[in-house]
Amino acid sequence: MLNATRPKNKTIFLYLIIPVALFVFCVFVPLVTAFVYSFYEWKGGPNKTFNGLTNYIKLLNDTTFWEAFGHNIYLVVACIIGQIGIAFVLVMMVNSRLVKFKTIHRTFGFFPSTISAVCIGMIWTMVYHNKYGILNWFLRAIGRDDLTQVWLNNTKLVMLLVTIPLIWQYIGYYMVIILSAISSISTDIFESAEIDGANGVQQALHITLPLIKNTMLVCVTLCIAGNMKAFDSIYVMTSGGPGTASMVMAMYGYQISFSQSNMGYGSCISVGIFVLSLLVIGGSQLLINKATQGKGED
Amino acid sequence: MKKNVPGTHKVRRSALSIFMNLILWIFSLSCIFPIVWMLYSSLKEKRVFNADIVGLPKNPTLYNYIRILTNPDYHLAQSMWNSVRTTGISIVLIILFSFIVGYILARVRFKLNRVLYVMFLMGMLIPIHSLLVPIYVVFLRFGLSNKWFTLILPYVSFGLPMGIFLVEGYVKTIPVSLEEAASIDGSSFSYTLWKIIFPICRPILVTVAIIQVFSCWNEFSFALVLIRDSALQTVPLALTQFKGQFASDYPKQMAAMLITMSPIIVLYFAFSKQIIKGMVAGAVKG
Repeated sequence: MLNATRPKNKTIFLYLIIPVALFVFCVFVPLVTAFVYSFYEWKGGPNKTFNGLTNYIKLLNDTTFWEAFGHNIYLVVACIIGQIGIAFVLVMMVNSRLVKFKTIHRTFGFFPSTISAVCIGMIWTMVYHNKYGILNWFLRAIGRDDLTQVWLNNTKLVMLLVTIPLIWQYIGYYMVIILSAISSISTDIFESAEIDGANGVQQALHITLPLIKNTMLVCVTLCIAGNMKAFDSIYVMTSGGPGTASMVMAMYGYQISFSQSNMGYGSCISVGIFVLSLLVIGGSQLLINKATQGKGED
Repeated sequence: MKKNVPGTHKVRRSALSIFMNLILWIFSLSCIFPIVWMLYSSLKEKRVFNADIVGLPKNPTLYNYIRILTNPDYHLAQSMWNSVRTTGISIVLIILFSFIVGYILARVRFKLNRVLYVMFLMGMLIPIHSLLVPIYVVFLRFGLSNKWFTLILPYVSFGLPMGIFLVEGYVKTIPVSLEEAASIDGSSFSYTLWKIIFPICRPILVTVAIIQVFSCWNEFSFALVLIRDSALQTVPLALTQFKGQFASDYPKQMAAMLITMSPIIVLYFAFSKQIIKGMVAGAVKG
């Protein structure tokens, strides 16, 4: 901390006022607003009527909302396994001495995560398209016309189909994070392990993984936070449909608020998203801390 | 059987090598394939594309690009400009504010220091998407929605916490004696801040800028709720509208996407090393 050059309070105030005011206005004012309006019946017009906990009772019994929450959890689990799991396996391969062009794999692999989710959604809509999609083209090419279908209309498959683009988009992102963690491990460890006769898989599971545990936990946290807010690509691909088969929480809140202009209930859903996201993120943190403490640090 | 017969060992090793290289190439090419496919398909006319979706164009044409860029109804050039302006101003403000707040939180003792610290920390934990509906209500109430500057406000706010913490962490690595020496030489707080600390912080500010360029350029959901006027749309918003208009005209959709992605693609492949490094630093430290 500075003592000799400590500025006047007025100077600090002048420097901080704009960013702090802006931040409060865009983050905390809406939060409070949502909380207040969640107790009102309000269809977006000039009339608002206080209706107590009615919205919250409705929310608790709203099967669509809980289905959407379930889909968010599905996304989280699928992406932890898909993104981080696949990324770890690929990193082990990239790090192998048998593999060349490491930089190209890294550059190409990372690329999708820099593209907007809207473009990703549009690209994959094209991949899944009934007539002009790559997927059906491929099935026809290998002579399995019987498997072709209107993919995104399949209620059973649609969640999986909207998850695949998400997984694909961020594998490279997690690869790079894991790679940078591994590069900080001293190579002596791997050399001595090799002399002791440990093979690649053994090295990966018993040496690399424990040493980059903290980075992996950061990845898991990022993955959870990222998927609780899934919206953009699903909006583009299915808008939550068919029916509510690929509905996620943010999508549902958007539909209620803007398509049905039910702002009161929409605010209540926003509070619900806020609380549930915090619970899931906080809960997973607790779980992670417990799990890592249980094993004991060395 | 002996374990280390050189022959089998070699065979196994080269089989493994082929397998691993193959998997990695499949993955890497799958990441690039959509762009390549779009690039050559956008040079086809709709009729040609529908007849053969993966073939290379026999008579490549710029027809789609010309149609999209010359027809004012599509607002694509306008939305590109909107995105450039929104992203540009947001980045400048995020850098300035992150630097100021980050530095003050790291170095200056005052009553509210810890309060502000916790407040911005909470900003990182708050699920931003729960603000989608209420921010619309608030902005409408204050007459701030659907203006050219509308999106700058949330983008700067949401970008601040990570920026502040990256700067704060970085400033803590600078020895205080530097500022003390400057002070003894008669440098004022503001002079030290801008002329001495700012240049030292340049690397971390570049990192902040890299992360935010991508997130501002690509941001969709807040643009969706805060912007009604099609003349004020940013690029992702224009694309979704475009998708509705040309649901079955893939070459046109592809051309539109490529136009809007072009700044990102150029930036990425020109500076991929720095960009990857910056994004990872932001993710792990922030």
